[in-house]
Amino acid sequence: MASSNTGKAGVIRAPEGAGKMDQLAHAVLDDLLYNIVHDLLMQTHREEKIARASTAAIRVEKLAADTSDSSAPDARPDVKVETDAAIYDEGKVLLKGNPLATTKDIVCPRCHLPRLLYPTDGKGAKKPDPSIIYCKKHPYIDKPGYDIYGQTWVAQGPGRGKKKKDMEKKLEQNSDSQTPGPEGGTGGGGAASRPPNMLSFPSATCSKCKRCILVTRLNNHMGSCIGNSGRNASRAAAQKISNGNNANGNADGTPPSSQKGTPRPSSRAGSPHKKRDSDEIEDDDDTDNDSHKKKKLKPTPANAANKKLILKHKNASGNKKEKVKTSSSLSVEQKVDDDDAEGSTVEVAPKKRITKVPSPAKKLKLGASKPLLSSPMSKSNGKTSAPSGGGDDDRESESSGTLSSPPVV
Amino acid sequence: MAARPTTPASPKNVKINSPTPGMPLFGCEHVQLLLSNNPDVINNSIQYYKMLLRVIFDGNPLVPQTCKGLDGAITTSLTSNYLCLQCSAIVPEEERTKHGNKKSHRFYVDSRSGSLFCQVCEDFVWDPTLDDLRIRKMGTGSFSSRKRKHEEMFSDAVKDPLKDDPRYISSNTTIASCRADGLRGIYNAGATCYQNVVLQSFLHNPLLRNFYLSDGHQSSDCQVPHCLSCAMDDMFQDFYALENTNGYTAANILSGFWISEKKAFENLVTTKEQDAHEFFQFLAEELHERNGDGKKPETGSEHSCNCIIHQTFYGKLQSQTTCQHCGGVTNAIESFLDLSLGLENLSQKRGKKASKSAASLTLQECLDEEYIKSDKCEYRCRNCNSSQQARRDHSIKLLPNVLSIQLKRFEFKQGSRDRVASKISTKVQFPLQLNMLPYTTRGRTADARESQELRRSCTYDLLSVVEHVGEIDTGHYVTYSRVGDQWFSFNDHRVELAKKSDVLGSQAYLLFYIIRSLA
Repeated sequence: MASSNTGKAGVIRAPEGAGKMDQLAHAVLDDLLYNIVHDLLMQTHREEKIARASTAAIRVEKLAADTSDSSAPDARPDVKVETDAAIYDEGKVLLKGNPLATTKDIVCPRCHLPRLLYPTDGKGAKKPDPSIIYCKKHPYIDKPGYDIYGQTWVAQGPGRGKKKKDMEKKLEQNSDSQTPGPEGGTGGGGAASRPPNMLSFPSATCSKCKRCILVTRLNNHMGSCIGNSGRNASRAAAQKISNGNNANGNADGTPPSSQKGTPRPSSRAGSPHKKRDSDEIEDDDDTDNDSHKKKKLKPTPANAANKKLILKHKNASGNKKEKVKTSSSLSVEQKVDDDDAEGSTVEVAPKKRITKVPSPAKKLKLGASKPLLSSPMSKSNGKTSAPSGGGDDDRESESSGTLSSPPVV
Repeated sequence: MAARPTTPASPKNVKINSPTPGMPLFGCEHVQLLLSNNPDVINNSIQYYKMLLRVIFDGNPLVPQTCKGLDGAITTSLTSNYLCLQCSAIVPEEERTKHGNKKSHRFYVDSRSGSLFCQVCEDFVWDPTLDDLRIRKMGTGSFSSRKRKHEEMFSDAVKDPLKDDPRYISSNTTIASCRADGLRGIYNAGATCYQNVVLQSFLHNPLLRNFYLSDGHQSSDCQVPHCLSCAMDDMFQDFYALENTNGYTAANILSGFWISEKKAFENLVTTKEQDAHEFFQFLAEELHERNGDGKKPETGSEHSCNCIIHQTFYGKLQSQTTCQHCGGVTNAIESFLDLSLGLENLSQKRGKKASKSAASLTLQECLDEEYIKSDKCEYRCRNCNSSQQARRDHSIKLLPNVLSIQLKRFEFKQGSRDRVASKISTKVQFPLQLNMLPYTTRGRTADARESQELRRSCTYDLLSVVEHVGEIDTGHYVTYSRVGDQWFSFNDHRVELAKKSDVLGSQAYLLFYIIRSLA
């Protein structure tokens, strides 16, 4: 081997007239490269050939089961059938020829559906045949900015580290980008600008207080709710009080008890939504200029599941904000209020009444584009504002209802 | 011609694997011919294949790599030779066809991997029976089926129905969707990436996965409120049974963590990152308490427990103290959850020797420093009855199934006023495959180091890497985990494909190696 100036792969060549040791070194390196490629190839070959062989086996077994047509599908039929790739003979499967040549595709050994062989997006992507139902295990997608399932995520801004400040900014963005939800229907651009596979942050329930918390705030919440952080709690309280001044209509305290409860009939839910609508309008007016930002996050009307998630999410973020801003004394009042909603008056209620006025009109205007708005429930038009929210919506309406119920009733 | 042992192995009866649905009985028609002969031929062929595998994997690799060429010259090559399955010839690739035509021998065994080559197919053949033997030999060094196959550990989660009665299994289990492959992100609940990375490394640990997916801890049967093991059980279910591809919200883990918070972290601030290693220790201890003998693991003692955490992570460390005065030896053994390797001293030493820019370490150097080199200490010798200088040697007495290594990147430096935490960002190179034999107590003897068998039983494969990027206060944790042969990066709720070079180039903080063969 040392006599030649290269190894088996023939890629690394010693220059002409190189010394013996030089030649040897080149030959060794060349052989090592050959071995690496050889091993990689063997591994892929093994995977592929075994997969094809088992595909051939599954196909012929299915054929055998179909031919025998026995009532017990599990039993091994005593028939002899064959396909191009394999023979089935009384429970035994024998290959015919090389499965790499006889079998062109791969069937999932578990669900017996064909495997999708190319990713649908990103590197090496090919369009799948729409007429075939593939196994759900797809090749992973390799595309910058997208994950292995082709999902993308809400941009987190530059830098990998997230600080509290960033998080709050994002939250704000989230919450005001979601408040103008109904407008999404009229705008129509929301669906286009936000990819359907965008991952958004869900909410989770705190195991102690059963509140619904946006996941990005969960640790913080649990720290103060479960953890012993009395110091934190007091600091947070101080922050709430100082924030109390600039807390306007949004800062309606949500009594925790109402969230714990099961959703109540919508009779009471009518009024609060007017209030919420009005808030939304306010938001719209204020933040029209960054509507592009909102649109990015807007739920696609077509994707109901997605929408639900986001709506829930909105509740959570909204509630959280409220919670932070509510001083403890207020919440006590509201608890009372909740128990006896009809008679009670709350300080913030007047504000509501003022802002509420324009809401029905706007609501109706919006309603044209929203199919669910035309439902006979127009009396309680608040309910229609969030058609797909389900139980969560009721809960939300209930919670805000504690504040603004008096005007309507 | 290379000398090859020709003594036949013990004439045990070997069996062809029984037919399993969805798999052909033989690798190709020609293997089928060979293995459908009379029992003697079958027996001999399989025994001879096993012997060849022993030559390849147990013996000196020079033997199968050496062959006699056409001109009678004996050559040893780096590339594969082919060992004839039907006679004792070893031929290079070029002469395979010639040998086959002359002797009408059809099957050859690759001298580097043990794979079977069929001359008639002109292709490698993966026969279920023979390849099974090969994989077993390669993984555990033995043909016994009592031991776990190397492959089985990394194959699809609930795939293979056990051989004894597949119908029993299928009627009592639920088959998860093909989509549910355990690859999901975990949402960051506000500075919790230090938890996410540890959870991801647990989720892709085959031992823990099998434990939880086989109802090792059933959350429905557990009475403990806010049990972390139940939360783990739920999480494994969500990852491996549901089709969801979005992130997972580890709310139960988080609340379990907060409820038992005082034990783990002293001054926990919700908005601040914590140490992933501390969380790893916390989680391991917590899960041990839920699943184990209930005793708290004491540091510095030999604690044996057969809970899943101990079976997975715990090994034993021996420190031998030798008195320099009388030569008396004392051994102390303690259990360890992980090996912590200091970087600072080593990188400083290195910095003095070489120019500062070239200061990069290898994992093996760090291990050498702790477990091969000895250090001196003051020691009260019982024999001499006085305080003496002593030499202390550390070695690993019992290797764990999953070896976790912490590279001490965070250190408190004694500043002028108070202690300042700082990060050492020295690059540490770590291998995909790690041999721990030199660091074991048994590996101290020279002939143990020569033993292929022992070497193989101490071989580890990289399973997960927890990387810390950025500065100490503003940093972020990312996990790389291997599923099968594919690496993935888990950055909170983002899961992406990762290249091996990404993994090996990362600034590792925690490393998880899994033993190649479960003995």
